[in-house]
Amino acid sequence: MASSTHEERNKTLAALTSSALLLPAYNVAVADAPPDFTEIGMRYSKYTEDDLPAKKVFGGRSQRMDVDVAQFHLLAPVSDDWSVAVDVGWEDLSGASPWFVGESLADDGDPKVAMSGASIEDTRTEVSVTTRYYFDTGTAGINYTYSDEDDYESNALSLDGSLNSDDGLTTYSASVSASDDDITPTQGNYPTNTLAATKDIRSAWIGVSRIISKRALMRFGLSYTYRDGYLTDPYKYKDNRPDERKEWTASVGYRQFFVEQNAALHVDYRYFDDDWDIASQTLDVAWIQNVGQDITVAPFIRYYTQDRAKFFSVVVNDDDDNNYFSDDYRLSAFGAFSYGLRLNYEIGNWSINADAERYQTDESWGLYSGEESPALVDSWRYGVGLSYVFK
Amino acid sequence: MKYLTGLLLPLMLCGCETVQPWERGILSKDEMQWQPNVMETRLRNQVYASKEASSGGTGAAGGGCGCN
Repeated sequence: MASSTHEERNKTLAALTSSALLLPAYNVAVADAPPDFTEIGMRYSKYTEDDLPAKKVFGGRSQRMDVDVAQFHLLAPVSDDWSVAVDVGWEDLSGASPWFVGESLADDGDPKVAMSGASIEDTRTEVSVTTRYYFDTGTAGINYTYSDEDDYESNALSLDGSLNSDDGLTTYSASVSASDDDITPTQGNYPTNTLAATKDIRSAWIGVSRIISKRALMRFGLSYTYRDGYLTDPYKYKDNRPDERKEWTASVGYRQFFVEQNAALHVDYRYFDDDWDIASQTLDVAWIQNVGQDITVAPFIRYYTQDRAKFFSVVVNDDDDNNYFSDDYRLSAFGAFSYGLRLNYEIGNWSINADAERYQTDESWGLYSGEESPALVDSWRYGVGLSYVFK
Repeated sequence: MKYLTGLLLPLMLCGCETVQPWERGILSKDEMQWQPNVMETRLRNQVYASKEASSGGTGAAGGGCGCN
C-alpha cells in the first residue's frame, strides 16, 4: 500500500514536471499543470519601420508603417484541473506601404518603389480565448480567436493535446486548427485587386519534447499548413498569386541552464518549405541572465534567410506573359538579422518587463541568391509590460 | 528529407539520462520555458509573419491578418 502511494505520488510529480513544461500550441505558451493563482498582464508596444531612402523610391524619401499595440492577458484556474486564458490585442496602424516597383528612367533603369502614399489607417482588434483541461498524463485545450480589421476578418479554432510518458521525460503533442478569413479591401485612391474575397487556412502540428538532463530540454516539431482562397495582396498593383499554398516546417528547440552563471541558453531553429518554392531558415538564440533574485537581462539575436517565390520578380513588366506575378519584397530572396534585449524585474506579486528589438534586412545577407528588392524593410520594435499574480 | 534527418538525428543519438521528478527543479524555472513571455511572443511572431514569407513551426497556424 505504501509502495503504491509512493508510486502514485511520483507519477503525479512526474506529470507536473514533464518535458512539456511549456507546450507550444496555437503559438501560446501552455504549462502542463494548471496555474495556482490568477495572473493578469498588460503591455504596450510600438512597431515602427524606417523611412525608405530617396534613392529607392519614386518621389523622394517615404515614410512607412507605424503600429501602436496594446495587449491584455489573463490566465486563471477554474478548478484543480481546469484553466482559462484570455488574450486581447488592439493595434492602430498608419503610414504607407509599397504599391509597386518600377524602373526609373532617370536612373539608368534602377528599380524604385512607388508607395501607396500616407493613406493607410486601420485598427485591429483580436480576442483569443483558450480553455484547458489537465489530466494525470497530459493536457487538452481548445482555442477560439477572432480578429477584426477594417478590411479583414478572421475566425480561427484550434484543438491541441499532449501526452506524457510514464516517467514524464518525454511529452508527445499535437494540434490542429482551421481559420476562415474574409477580405474586404478599403477603397481609396488606387483600385484594389478585389472588392471582396475569402481565404481558408487548415493546419496541423506534431511535436515531441524531452528532458535530456537535469539542466537541459529539447523539442522537435513538424507542421503542415494549407492555405486556400485569395492569397494575392489586394492592394499591390502588380500582384497575382496562386489561390493555393502548401507549407511545411520542421523545428528544433534547446534549453540549457548553467548553474555557475545562473543563466539559461535558448536555441531555436526552423526550416520552412512550400510549393511556391519559398524555403527559409530561422535561428533564434537568447541568453537569459539572472541578476540577483529579482532581475533578468536577456540579450537575443535572430537570423532569418529565405528564397524567393517562383513567380517573384523585382520589377513586373506589363508585357510578361505569366499567370502569376508579384513584386512584393516579402516574396524576394533576402537575409535578416534582428537583435535586442529583454529586461524583467519582479517586485512582490508584480512583474515589470521591457524589451527592444532592431530588425535589419539585406539581400546579400541571405543564403539564397536573388536580386534585391528596393522595398526591403528595416524596423524597430519596443515595448513595456506589467503583470500581477493574485497570490 | 535531409533536413528532417538532420533535425531528428540529435534526438535519436542523445544519451538522455533518467531525471527523477524531484531532480527537475531547474527545468521548471521561468527562464527554462519554451516561451518566456506570452504577450511578447505573440507580437513578435506576428511581426515576423507579416514581413517575411514564412511563419509557424511552434504550433498549428492561426488565422490571418491584413497586415501591411
